[in-house]
Amino acid sequence: MPLLKIDDKEFQVESGSTVLETAESNGIEIPHYCYHPALEVVGSCRMCLVQVEGMGKLQVSCNTFVGDVPPDRKVDGKYDMVVHTQNDLVVQERKNILEFLLLNHPLDCPVCDQAGECYLQDYSFKFGNAHSRFEEDKRVRPNEYLGSQIVINQNRCILCSRCVRFTQEISGTSELFVEARGYNSKIAVLEDNPLDNLLAGNVADICPVGALLSTDYIHKNRIWNMEQKPSVCQDCSVGCNVDIFSQKNQIFRLTARENQDVNGYFMCDIGRYGFHRFEEIERVSQPMARNGKSFDVLDWEEAIQKTADLIEKSKDKTAGIVSPFHTNESNYLLGLMMKDTLGTLPPITREEITYPSGFRISADRSPNLRGMNDVCGHLEEDFSSIIKTRDIRGLYILDDGVDRELDDTWKDILAKMDFIIVQSYAMTELAKSAHIVLPGLAPFEREGTITNDKGHIQWLRPSLVTIGDSKPDWEILMLVINALDKDSEHFTDLGEVIKNMSDHFSSYSDVSLFKIGAQGMALNGKSA
Amino acid sequence: MSAFKPVLTEHIHQEDCHTLSFYKSVGGYTALEKVLKMIPAEVTQEVKDSNLRGRGGAGFPAGVKWGFIPKDTDKPKYLINNADESEPGTFKDRLLMNKAPHQMLEGMIIAAYAIGCHTSFIYIRGEFYKEFKLLEKAVAEAYKDNILGQSILGSTYNLDVVIHRGAGAYICGEETGLIESLEGKRGWPRIKPPFPAIEGYLQSPTIVNNVETLSCVPHIINRGASWFKSIGPEKGPGPRLFCLSGRVNNPGIFEEAMGISLKDLIFDRAGGIPDGKKLKAVFPGGSSSAILTAEEALDVNMDFDELVEKKTMLGSAGVIVMDETVDMVQACLNIARFYAHESCGQCTPCREGTAWLVKMLTRLVNGGGTPNDIDMIFEITDNIGGLIDFSMGSFGKTICPFGEAVAWPVRSFVEKFKDEFLAYLPREKVVA
Amino acid sequence: MNSNGAPKENFIFENTTKVKNILSQYPDKQSATLPLLHLAQSENGYISGAVINTVSGLVDCHPAVVMDCVSFYTMLYTKPQGRNIIQVCQTLSCSLNGADALVDQVTDKYGIKPGETTEDDRFTLMKVECLGSCGTAPVVQINKEYHERLSRKSFDELLESHQ
Repeated sequence: MPLLKIDDKEFQVESGSTVLETAESNGIEIPHYCYHPALEVVGSCRMCLVQVEGMGKLQVSCNTFVGDVPPDRKVDGKYDMVVHTQNDLVVQERKNILEFLLLNHPLDCPVCDQAGECYLQDYSFKFGNAHSRFEEDKRVRPNEYLGSQIVINQNRCILCSRCVRFTQEISGTSELFVEARGYNSKIAVLEDNPLDNLLAGNVADICPVGALLSTDYIHKNRIWNMEQKPSVCQDCSVGCNVDIFSQKNQIFRLTARENQDVNGYFMCDIGRYGFHRFEEIERVSQPMARNGKSFDVLDWEEAIQKTADLIEKSKDKTAGIVSPFHTNESNYLLGLMMKDTLGTLPPITREEITYPSGFRISADRSPNLRGMNDVCGHLEEDFSSIIKTRDIRGLYILDDGVDRELDDTWKDILAKMDFIIVQSYAMTELAKSAHIVLPGLAPFEREGTITNDKGHIQWLRPSLVTIGDSKPDWEILMLVINALDKDSEHFTDLGEVIKNMSDHFSSYSDVSLFKIGAQGMALNGKSA
Repeated sequence: MSAFKPVLTEHIHQEDCHTLSFYKSVGGYTALEKVLKMIPAEVTQEVKDSNLRGRGGAGFPAGVKWGFIPKDTDKPKYLINNADESEPGTFKDRLLMNKAPHQMLEGMIIAAYAIGCHTSFIYIRGEFYKEFKLLEKAVAEAYKDNILGQSILGSTYNLDVVIHRGAGAYICGEETGLIESLEGKRGWPRIKPPFPAIEGYLQSPTIVNNVETLSCVPHIINRGASWFKSIGPEKGPGPRLFCLSGRVNNPGIFEEAMGISLKDLIFDRAGGIPDGKKLKAVFPGGSSSAILTAEEALDVNMDFDELVEKKTMLGSAGVIVMDETVDMVQACLNIARFYAHESCGQCTPCREGTAWLVKMLTRLVNGGGTPNDIDMIFEITDNIGGLIDFSMGSFGKTICPFGEAVAWPVRSFVEKFKDEFLAYLPREKVVA
Repeated sequence: MNSNGAPKENFIFENTTKVKNILSQYPDKQSATLPLLHLAQSENGYISGAVINTVSGLVDCHPAVVMDCVSFYTMLYTKPQGRNIIQVCQTLSCSLNGADALVDQVTDKYGIKPGETTEDDRFTLMKVECLGSCGTAPVVQINKEYHERLSRKSFDELLESHQ
């Protein structure tokens, strides 16, 4: 393994690694724009230039490979390569490249969305000159819509070509291209083929400056105003890792978070913009009981007691409906409560979409089907018939939250029930047909674990506070269980539920939030 | 007048010199016959021994380049004949294609044989339409006569030649830019490594050689490496086509031995400067080289190493002569504008720097310059492709040598004719 | 050559044999992009959106990739041009030998500046960079032919002869 020296630190590296890769994975900052670990290396921004001993010209560290050299060519007798990133030559060079980049860059920082998270700002501050020496007229071009979700401010673009390479290599849709050449180069789309694929939002993420902007987020906020919480997307069973940015209990945007075991570096637009769905829905925030055509508000004690009474009286004639949209803990507890008869509503599926890079949007558009199947115990397959054969009179439903049209079989079933208890956060059609509605949390308020379709269990974390009298779904279920059985366990927090769940199911043994952390973990050390 | 007996341009004044029958009548394709009986490695060795250096601009030893082709790969090998002649001041390849296409073709076939190539390309600049048609005919003649195609001249060697037209881009003369263009994309040069000899066209080993370089090859085979090496300086020998243009009485192409003095080229071969004017400055090797003052020009021989010592280069041997009537600032702007127009735009220093230079020089010429601007030009050119110290190698910051190609000439104009630049600065109004 | 600029709806190559020959010459389809574009331009006068779609289908690439290529090269036109494209070289050797005067000559005679086309579509004037014939400066390329060592008079006659 070749020995690389960067400044005053030594590294044993794999033969064929680049200087930039080594620096990145060891916390040494070498500024760069066009390099991205998921994309082909082009070496065009010239920002990552470093001095390599023995080579006259400065080298781009993104394309400088370290390999074993014969003993008589080793530097100082032991190094296969010695690189300087802080000497005068490199420091001056960074200033020069930044100067070139800023020649035509508008002084937009006060009005630019990228402010605070802009690599041009950051590097200028760290490595650049304090003033411009450019006396000429700047190149000025109008903004353009590249697609319905992405607008480009052409004047800010530094032509790093990350976005073009993204559409060629990752989404494979090749909408973006470079038009013209030299000083007149610019990023463009063909009129009849705009940037409208489901991965389009990622180009705004990977754009190092404020050129490519999301039309959804544009002019709405700045990074320093917002709280950033890591979590997991809930719009399909891939479970892309995300960062959720919110301020004053309002979500402004989601960006992809890196996880090499799940989604790589990217996420799709369904999940990216999906949070808007929850902004205008009719929320349920208090326990309610049906009174004719309307609902009376109850307090929690009443509601829990009423629920428990209904279930007790029906004795074995109650069934539970778990949900692939709910966390493992919620499904687990409903499973404990209704161990005899458990089923699910018909699944929500759309097309499976795969991209050339391997990025996937799964056909299953629920986040936790696998987890639900893992931790509920026995789920009846032909649930609707089981309901008939066992003469089920009452249902306790964990509502998906998806406002859906149920088919006639299910409409029939619901109409014939003596009682329906729906635990939901919104007045879905299902909730409207309930006798008791128990207000749980909306997806961005929930905390718990979910398991993706490859058996990777991940930590769902809340970004919004609970509203009204809503309670976490696991807590509501626990309270009902406690009311049904005075000796049942009373969990004080989510961690205790997880412990209990992991004791029950061997494939989830050893699971804890601490172990799951930000990157999740494979069940039993294996991913499916 | 020249005492040198032309080698490459020996027959260009014959009426049918471009035909196959004529070429064969003067011994054409005998080198190929000889080569087909040699082992490819022997052919490469012969060319290596001859010290033939590339005549496209970079001056890299051709035989050494051929030797870089890996021996242990299944990938197809490609030979590309770089006929994208676009360097200002250079027009020799056009002559060779018009008047001696088969000489070039023979060189191509020999080179292809040496590297184990079976599909080769001629990348000819799009504007050379007449030459393209002529080459089509020459290639057709060769196919008909079993000089191309299957079982060439009864051997087991096959070779196809494809003529590929460019579409107007100087940067496609740079070898990796050419390869990208040949692959059907924009001509953006590639970062190295990987080098074209390892991963070039379609990620396969590729050699790119200039028209004139390939044209020398049949002669090396026929008359031997020692003969070639004996013409001119040993480290950079051979017959060379020098292109003279600009302010001379008799512009044109002069085939001479390498090492001829620049003075002879300008004042003897090209007939000196019109109207009795004095020499002022010269580009020795196309516009990508640093200019020489008259004093420097009169004291140098056209040799690779000598010109490097004078901090310029032989390049494509495109000599552009400027006399006392030429405004150095306007000439500098003309060249800067050429490079700004031809910059591919891929990397930061060149894309932004070339345009900056043009804008600054334009402002200077229009009377809006400041003393600071003159110093800025040095800095900008250094930041694109500067030469701080020749002995340490270039300090270019760009992906390809285009950075050096714009930096050297522009810098040299300002360095050597600073007064003319200063003269463009607006005079301070003097208050009486 | 240059059409009178009428765009075609769906571009279909006239010379299908040539198209086949071109495609068969290259080990990779995408390499045939430039020769197909040249052929299309000679038939259609310029590279229209329809041409790009046709060529991209033939070389198996996205139309944006083909457009990326087209927009890079100065000899490929994305708009209709005049019947005769006058390209005056403006690089150093030609500039030192009267190229600017030739450009002015066209402007004076036909009223068009570089980049413009006459009303009757007869001429388009362009300033181009080094045409590779510096020894016979000043050089002008009209359509496919080079015209060298031009004087005011010979240029005038040359222009007259192009309808």
